[in-house]
Amino acid sequence: MTYVALAYGFIWVAVLGYLGLIGRQVARLEAEIQDLRQRITHER
Amino acid sequence: MLLAMPTARASDARLLLGAAVTLLGFLVVPVLVAGAPLERTMGVVQKIFYFHVPCAWLLMLSTFVCAAGSLAYLFRGSEGGDRLAVCSAELGVLFGLCVMVTGPLWARAAWGVFWSWDVRLTASLLLWLTLIAYGLARRYGGSGGRRLAAALALFAAADVPLVYISVNVWRTLHPTTRVVSSLAPGMRLPFFLSLALFSALWCVLLVVRLRVESARARILELSIAVEDVEAMSS
Repeated sequence: MTYVALAYGFIWVAVLGYLGLIGRQVARLEAEIQDLRQRITHER
Repeated sequence: MLLAMPTARASDARLLLGAAVTLLGFLVVPVLVAGAPLERTMGVVQKIFYFHVPCAWLLMLSTFVCAAGSLAYLFRGSEGGDRLAVCSAELGVLFGLCVMVTGPLWARAAWGVFWSWDVRLTASLLLWLTLIAYGLARRYGGSGGRRLAAALALFAAADVPLVYISVNVWRTLHPTTRVVSSLAPGMRLPFFLSLALFSALWCVLLVVRLRVESARARILELSIAVEDVEAMSS
């Protein structure tokens, strides 16, 4: 039973870790959007 | 929030619904798997099969989608195809990792060893490593990195049939592909439900990742446009 729990638990950890990586990418893109917004406002 | 732009509200709702159904399913499947009949020779550890096989199927599906996107990029210059390829390659690495962890856990209990260099295991490892190489080529391959990665994706796709048929052609420790069609009736529902849920999870992750990649491409275009305006006004 331990091996089955380990296998299923690992899949959860891997998927959640991947979602965390996507979240970091989204945060980076939001920062870039903010930077662009400031540059556009400055140009006006 | 970047993923919640007003133009994408309908698809946001579909995506949220898909994610909710998948999450609910992931809570239900272990209960069904726990209730499935015990396999006579391996006992409880055979239940890893219900997670290991869907992960292996998604590794192969991701590779084919990655290769299809790469073909579109190589021969038609499709940026959308390239984005699809990079996103599916990442999912291939993710589910390949799950295969590489769940398989040896099952093997340790069933065969007494974590790993054996037989054809199925070696070809699967090669497939997974090729998808990792795809990501490395894109990241560190310089200006030709995307084309090199696309070529690697085609190489990976060529390995998929070998992975699939290896257990039927060569004598290996690994069970053959006929295991699925010969499942006991009580094992079929948990298995096919698990397969459907893992596939749904794959679709949700692919859509989310594709949206991030499309947003990144749009932001890049915008920054180039802003730089042009800044250069003209200075």
